Order: sequence, then structure tokens, then C-alpha cells
Amino acid sequence: MKSAAFFVVLALASAPALSARAENATAFRIEFNDGKVEPLRLDVPANQTLEIELVNKGQGPAEFESKQLRKEKVLAPGATVTLVIRGLDPGEYDFFDDFHPDAPPARLVAK
Amino acid sequence: MGQFGNVVFIVWRESIEALLVIGILQAWLGQQGGDASSRGRAYLWAGVAAGLVAAALLGTALILFGDRLDDDSQQIFQTVLMLLAAGLIVQMVLWMRRHGRTLKRDLETALQGAADKGNWWGVFTLAAIAVAREGCETVVFLAGTLSAARSGGFAPVVFSAVGGLALAVATYGLLQLGGKILSWRLFFRVTEILLLLLAGALLLTAADNLVALGLLPRLSGRLWDASSLLSDGGVFGGLFASLTGWRARPDLTEILVFLVYWGAMAWLLFRPKPTTR
Repeated sequence: MKSAAFFVVLALASAPALSARAENATAFRIEFNDGKVEPLRLDVPANQTLEIELVNKGQGPAEFESKQLRKEKVLAPGATVTLVIRGLDPGEYDFFDDFHPDAPPARLVAK
Repeated sequence: MGQFGNVVFIVWRESIEALLVIGILQAWLGQQGGDASSRGRAYLWAGVAAGLVAAALLGTALILFGDRLDDDSQQIFQTVLMLLAAGLIVQMVLWMRRHGRTLKRDLETALQGAADKGNWWGVFTLAAIAVAREGCETVVFLAGTLSAARSGGFAPVVFSAVGGLALAVATYGLLQLGGKILSWRLFFRVTEILLLLLAGALLLTAADNLVALGLLPRLSGRLWDASSLLSDGGVFGGLFASLTGWRARPDLTEILVFLVYWGAMAWLLFRPKPTTR
């Protein structure tokens, strides 16, 4: 498993280079509160690097998930996590709180 | 009922994918020679155990330092593991194909044993990743739900979690039963293809991650939309996508990765055999 260790080191070494690239990103924010998602519609610019701050204000856990964006992030109560998205085609992308399946889906709209 | 039904459902959903992967691996190992399959099983369950430990550690890390963990580094870490698992699985399936038939006959155990040892890491890694991936989310989910349940509410949450897991195991048992009805030879074929599909799905997800990280170019926008035929969202579609690599709205990079992978597999599986007799 030496090669595995090598890959992991390589991955960790290349991470700072990437985070530096995300600096000129546009910032957005989505709040989760025990099944409520705010906002339910988030307008973002297409083909740009986006930084979305995910905040869980609820008592229980939440999970940002979007199959179309291929992103999932679990959020412990009170946690804040930043999601980086590089370049979206114009269009609509559904996302939802996967730990509250009965909640209505929210939507990211890239223009 | 509402909240606890929710706990049961989420634990079931998070467990079933890992159980399906374990089931495929176990079925595939079951078709190998006796000694090889028991050795492989040891790697499988060691992988499951490693996955559970990793899930607990990762889940704890997400709860304690979630705010400070960098999105990109997490994604790179996952991607590297996925690529590694995909590579090991393909290598393992091909190796088994070449040696599987002679494995039972060859009794030069020293040499065979050595060759044997090196080739179960695919089973180990795939089982570990499948368990850790869903498991760490379940850890965060349960820890958060427990902390929200406050005084006196612990027992129902724990019961529901155990219920969800039991339901997942029952579903898995049902699928295993279904596997018994298929004929022996067909089943070997099917599990082999399922493993290659799984490796391909990991490869596609890894490619998607590399595109998302800006390390691989995205050669086009989505080329078509087959969501109405079979969506890759939703409970069933999402599960299907992560087991087979299905993409309802693929871009050119995804299509190329898919074609190159299956082209390479077809060549490796059906190329004329070297004349070693």
C-alpha cells in the first residue's frame, strides 16, 4: 500500500494550490434549520467559481445534497462548511436537505 | 412517528448501498476456489471493519472540525481513494480471470500463496470505502439527532437507528436470496460485470471530482438529458448511478471516460490469450 500513501501525500500537497485559486470566487450562503432551507431559490452567475457557505442553524443535523451538482456535505448542528463550485452551465440545479426527506426541494439557478 | 420514521429511513438508505457492495463482493468471492474465497473473505470483512473505524473517525472529525476542513482537500482525498479502489478492482477481476480456473488445480502452494496474497486489496479497499463513505454521514446524522433529542429522547432514536439497520440487512438478505435463483455460471458472469460496473462508477465519480476541482477540463456542457428515461437523482436513480456510473445528463468528459474505460475493459477481457499452456 505504499503507492496509496504516496497518493495521499500528493493530494494533501496539492490542496493549498487549489484553495488559492478559489480566492476570487463569488460568495453565497445557504442556511439549514431542522428541515427548513433558506433561501429556497438561489440565483448565481453561470461559468464562475462560487463559494457557498452552508450553515446549519438547527438543533439536529442536516445534509446539503444535490445529485445534479454531484455534491453532498453533512452538517452537524451549528456547523458551517464552505462548498466550492467551479463553473456551472446556465440552468437549474435542485438541492435538498437529505436528512429531512419530506422538506420541499430548493433550487440553485445559474444564469 | 414522523421523526423516528425519518431516522429508520435514513439509516436504511445510508446502509443499503454499502451492503449491496459487500453482497456483490461476497458473491464474487463465493465463485472462486475454496481456499482463495476464504482468504478473500478475510480481506472483505477486514475491509468492512476498517471502513467502520474510518467512518467513526471521519464522522467525529466532521463534527469536531467540520468548520475548518477544507472542501477541496476532502474532495481530493476521496478522489484518490476512489481511483485507487477502481484500479485495484479491475486488476483483481482480471487476475482472477487469468488464474481462477487453474487456482484449484495448482497445488504449488508456495508460489500460488504469494500471488494470492497480493490480490485481495481490491476487495479490502472497495469494502472499506463503501462502508466509510455512507458510514461517516450516518455517524454525523445520528450524533446530531441524539444531541437534538435532549433528555429522555435517546432510546427511541437508538431503537429507530437499529431498526433502520435491521431493515437494510433484511433487504440485503432478500437480494441474496434472489441471487440463489440465478444459475451458477451466469451468476459468476454477472458478479464480475457488477464489479467492473462498480469500478467504472468510481472512476466516473473521480473524474467528476477532478473536473469540479478544476484539475480536468470539462470538454462540453451537458450533451443530452435522459432524466425522463432514468433520472440519476432520487433514491433509486441515485443508487443506480453510484453502482453503475449512470449519468442522465453527461458532458463530453464523462462520455470519454466511460468509453475509454469500457473500451479498455473489452480489450483486456476479450483480447486473444497469450499462448501459455
